[in-house]
Amino acid sequence: GFAGENKMSTPARKRLMRDFKRLQQDPPAGISGAPQDNNIMLWNAVIFGPDDTPWDGGTFKLTLQFSEDYPNKPPSVRFVSRMFHPNINRCYTSTKSYLLEVQAPPLDAIVNLGIFVVSKYAVASEKVYADGSICLDILQNQWSPIYDVAAILTSIQSLLCDPNPNSPANSEAARMFSENKREYNRRVREIVEQSWTAD
Amino acid sequence: MDSEDDMLDANDVESIDDDFYSGDTGIESDDADANYDFDNDSDDSGDIMIHRPQQNYTILKEEDICERQEEDIASVSTVLSISRVAACILLRHYNWSVSKVNDEWFADEARVRQAVGLLEKPVAELPNTPEVICGICFESCPRKGIESAACGHPFCQACWAAYMNTSIGDGPGCLMLRCPDPSCGAAIGQDMINKLAHHEDKEKYSRYLLRSYIENNRKTKWCPAPGCDYAVDFVVGSGSYDVSCLCSHSFCWNCTEEAHRPVDCPTVAKWILKNSAESENMNWILANSKPCPKCKRPIEKNQGCMHMTCTPPCKFEFCWLCLGAWGEHGERTGGFYACNRYETAKQEGVYDESEKRREMAKNSLERYTHYYERWATNQTSRQKALADLHQMQTLHLEKLSDRQRQPESQLKFIIEAWLQIVECRRVLKWTYAYGYYLPENEHAKRQFFEYLQGEAESGLERLHQCAEKELQIHLNADGPSNEFNEFRTKLAGLTSVTRNYFENLVRALENGLSDVDSCGASGKTVNSKNAGGTSKGRGGRGKGSSSRSTGASRSDDGDTWSCEHCTYANSQSGTTCQMCFHL
Repeated sequence: GFAGENKMSTPARKRLMRDFKRLQQDPPAGISGAPQDNNIMLWNAVIFGPDDTPWDGGTFKLTLQFSEDYPNKPPSVRFVSRMFHPNINRCYTSTKSYLLEVQAPPLDAIVNLGIFVVSKYAVASEKVYADGSICLDILQNQWSPIYDVAAILTSIQSLLCDPNPNSPANSEAARMFSENKREYNRRVREIVEQSWTAD
Repeated sequence: MDSEDDMLDANDVESIDDDFYSGDTGIESDDADANYDFDNDSDDSGDIMIHRPQQNYTILKEEDICERQEEDIASVSTVLSISRVAACILLRHYNWSVSKVNDEWFADEARVRQAVGLLEKPVAELPNTPEVICGICFESCPRKGIESAACGHPFCQACWAAYMNTSIGDGPGCLMLRCPDPSCGAAIGQDMINKLAHHEDKEKYSRYLLRSYIENNRKTKWCPAPGCDYAVDFVVGSGSYDVSCLCSHSFCWNCTEEAHRPVDCPTVAKWILKNSAESENMNWILANSKPCPKCKRPIEKNQGCMHMTCTPPCKFEFCWLCLGAWGEHGERTGGFYACNRYETAKQEGVYDESEKRREMAKNSLERYTHYYERWATNQTSRQKALADLHQMQTLHLEKLSDRQRQPESQLKFIIEAWLQIVECRRVLKWTYAYGYYLPENEHAKRQFFEYLQGEAESGLERLHQCAEKELQIHLNADGPSNEFNEFRTKLAGLTSVTRNYFENLVRALENGLSDVDSCGASGKTVNSKNAGGTSKGRGGRGKGSSSRSTGASRSDDGDTWSCEHCTYANSQSGTTCQMCFHL
């Protein structure tokens, strides 16, 4: 059972319990998912790469965050594993740069130290995590309350081999997919292998 | 900005309207000739459904909107032999055009039904069991707790309510709600909303439906005055876009800005943008300041000497002219008020580019300021005139009537004078925006324009002066006097003369100053009784949008164009802005 079972009464939670039951009793091929131990609104899921495709063998991890509006509003879904796909945002640490105004050093210091002052700005870097979110219509404007967790995961799985070129979240992958399929497949196999080792 | 709520009450102005055309006050009011009918500023009488001559719009109160909407729905329902709800859905889909609905329906009913989601037969059939599973929560519900749209897809009442709640909360898109099943496009109409949604959601839905009748219909718009709930139904193509709402707000139906004849809508939009643009601040900074060589902050010179000291924490000392460190300046370099280095470098052309930009910015700024100040002054003046008019109507008229022993009906010339002043200030204000965008190189047009504007302005000033100052004398008089009759003649005369000047001005501007070749550069008065001018004006008006575009020609031809980025008026042809280098 889950801690805090007195919260079971909301429609969202009831529905999520039912989704979980269905996943356990009648699991679609190549997907699995379960709520986190003490929070039914946050799920971990795994999608296996479809057989006989470059994605074959990959075990890609995702999280699904639900709200009390479920099932009338879709969950936020993002990949935790590193992915290379036209419709999946990059997921890695990156640096975000800021311009900071600084006090210019005195003129003699510039001369003596040989510092080349071009402007009064300095660059500061910050590491951020890009989100690994997914550009999939049923997760945005084409959502329906009929969809359940199984349907969401199955749709994402079919997206892997069937990208939508019209909404590229990862432009590099999108370009490679249409111009250099070989290189694209190589990159896919790379992240398939990475998915085994990352936690 | 120009909201005149409570300024002109329907009751106050009603009697004026009735007598206006009777010639009592001796003012010519031949509506057929007038290019602008300043009745637009005065309020309509209480019965808003009367179509007055020359009026091409109707004010709609909420009851009228409901009524019209019901009529349209009933009409479609009858003609197409469908339910009221289905008719409503159809109309919403075709933007409330009854004729479009009829055309499309009778052309291809099946296609329309499919596109709009009006199914004739159910798609899914409910099983015969006493309990049915809801397609959203997947729980078992007794049969009578299950509802569906025409398609037959079953959902329990609680899930329907939540589904509708989400959709209605997301905005007017709820008017096009469909069955939750993604493979089914069955439309959900107001009958289902009223049956299943929460109370507040039902009301919201009704409000969206009512709003949609105005917002999605191309012939109607809401009055933009804050707090006003009326809408305006406008017949396009019959002349001026100026409408006057019952709340006394006058606005241009086309762009919903305040009424701005004789200037056209694109010019007005540009002018308003320019007034608010940060660009003017930038221009000012560029024109009047230089960056500190050390810390780069903009510095404005406020004293005669060239020795500048930047503010703490920088405190750098430098020469204003050449921006070099002050320590290297002194008698050798020309003293404290000149700088040899600067002079030499200037001769060598080192500063040309930046000086040129600075000069351009300064000129551009001065020119803009010239027009803006006058635009703003007339704006304030008009506000004051409106206040004076209101005061006259509510307080002074009665007082004057007592003092001068004249009935109020004999004093209407005063109200008319103020109405004239209010309208003329508005027109004059916008002519300054017009003048700003008139190309510098069109000398003949500029001269003509400035001549007409000058005449109109001086006439208005005389009128305004008379109405303000001389009236005060009579207001404070102890008893009736002969001078009052002289005053009446004078004021009425001035009102008439000013009206003529402004009619000339408006007509000329609406014709794009094309009369300039026939009338010459200056000295020739364009008379309102000039048959050629009148017919030109009438023809121009009849063309509707085309006469508007001549006014806009200056902004769209290669001569001058406003940069989108900084609103600088570039005079050269080319695609890069001279000030900010934006494309």
